[in-house]
Amino acid sequence: MRYLTVGRPESQRRDLLIAAGLAILSLFIAGMSIESRLAITRVVRSTVLAPFLGAQRVFARSSDLSEQVASLTSERERLAAKVLESANLELENRQLRIIAGLPERRIGEFAVGELTAGAPEAGSSHTFLFRIGSDIELTTPAGISSPQGLVGVLRTADGGSGLGEFWTHPDFRVGVRTPDGSTTGILRPSPGAGGETLMLLDGVPYQTSIAAGTLLETSGEGGVHPPGVPVGRVIREESTRSGWSHSYLVDPIVRPGQVRMGLVWLVRPIPSSTVDSLPGNLDAAGGASTEPPPVGPDD
Amino acid sequence: MDVERSAWAWSALGISALLILHFLFRPFLVRLPIAPQLLIGALLLATLRLSAGQAAALGFALGILEAAMALEGMGTYALALTVVGYTGARARDLLFADARFYVFGYLFVGTWLADIILLLLGTSPPGFLRLVAGGGIDALLTATVCASVEAFTSSISERQV
Repeated sequence: MRYLTVGRPESQRRDLLIAAGLAILSLFIAGMSIESRLAITRVVRSTVLAPFLGAQRVFARSSDLSEQVASLTSERERLAAKVLESANLELENRQLRIIAGLPERRIGEFAVGELTAGAPEAGSSHTFLFRIGSDIELTTPAGISSPQGLVGVLRTADGGSGLGEFWTHPDFRVGVRTPDGSTTGILRPSPGAGGETLMLLDGVPYQTSIAAGTLLETSGEGGVHPPGVPVGRVIREESTRSGWSHSYLVDPIVRPGQVRMGLVWLVRPIPSSTVDSLPGNLDAAGGASTEPPPVGPDD
Repeated sequence: MDVERSAWAWSALGISALLILHFLFRPFLVRLPIAPQLLIGALLLATLRLSAGQAAALGFALGILEAAMALEGMGTYALALTVVGYTGARARDLLFADARFYVFGYLFVGTWLADIILLLLGTSPPGFLRLVAGGGIDALLTATVCASVEAFTSSISERQV
């Protein structure tokens, strides 16, 4: 067995040049826009890696199949009960909106897609690939959730697929509220004990306290996530900041590793005719106000 | 020449098997707290028989594949594995003795250093304990698996001669 193959000086120079060229190319790729890197990723995944990804999908499906059937059955039963309960409520809501002269409730639509989590050896992954089956053009940023709760946000999109970040990403922020709307705040990821990532609720006024176990859901502020998506449950108060606000440690409902399918929120823009016809819009009524109309996803 | 070619062919078969196992079971392996780094091990085994330029090119290609599989680190992985491939081949040129025992040491030290480079270039800070303890155990596992594959393929090619 012979491994010892010391190269001649000229071939060593050539090798060094090749390695330096490839290192520069790597740096160039690292500096490319996220859309360009997504295009390379897509080409590699659909060609060289396609057989491996196909095999991985088969393994994952067969290993999770019985678990998925049980969870889907119980989820279906819960949903059927909820639909029956909400049928009357929906009718009542529609009638009340007509009486109050409010336009039709528009919170957008959801599209179902496949979510592939990235989990590299270097560090822990916060990224996922999202792909929807239909020919809908995705726009960003868009909230991604699962039937259980909030998953993350889609950052870049090209046609029906895109790259997103889980809520564990250090830059992730989401506006939340308690179900009764009495308390609002901003949630961000926070490292917990044992390396587990939890969430931290910031900016809760000093005089407000939230009981352990309280559910937090998206407030819909910012228009990225729809209102009412469950995010997590309060564990305990973390610290008092500046004497005027609380921070609460929150146990997230969805763990990135559990999610394989996601729902992307497709926000429908509100037609300008609807905005103009709203009672509070003084511009449309010939007034001098420059304030934007009080409409949005929470409408 | 035929002996050389046969040894190369068997070694290439072993390296390909390691790479296939890595990409096939990657989602399972990355979830384990300690697992062999088959990609780095295969690259280091290839550097035993390739020129430094070829090893760098192989490292670059594997880096692109790994980043596409991981969905992040495109460019970063390519850079890290290019450096690993080139320095691995150069280190073999400069240091390597023609003895099988050194393959294990080469794989162990190489994997540990490559693991540290990858963790340092990663998206989240790895922590000292992960670098020292986890990396060392990963490297030990990798060296054991890959040195066994190398010993197996070498023994088959020698038996054929």
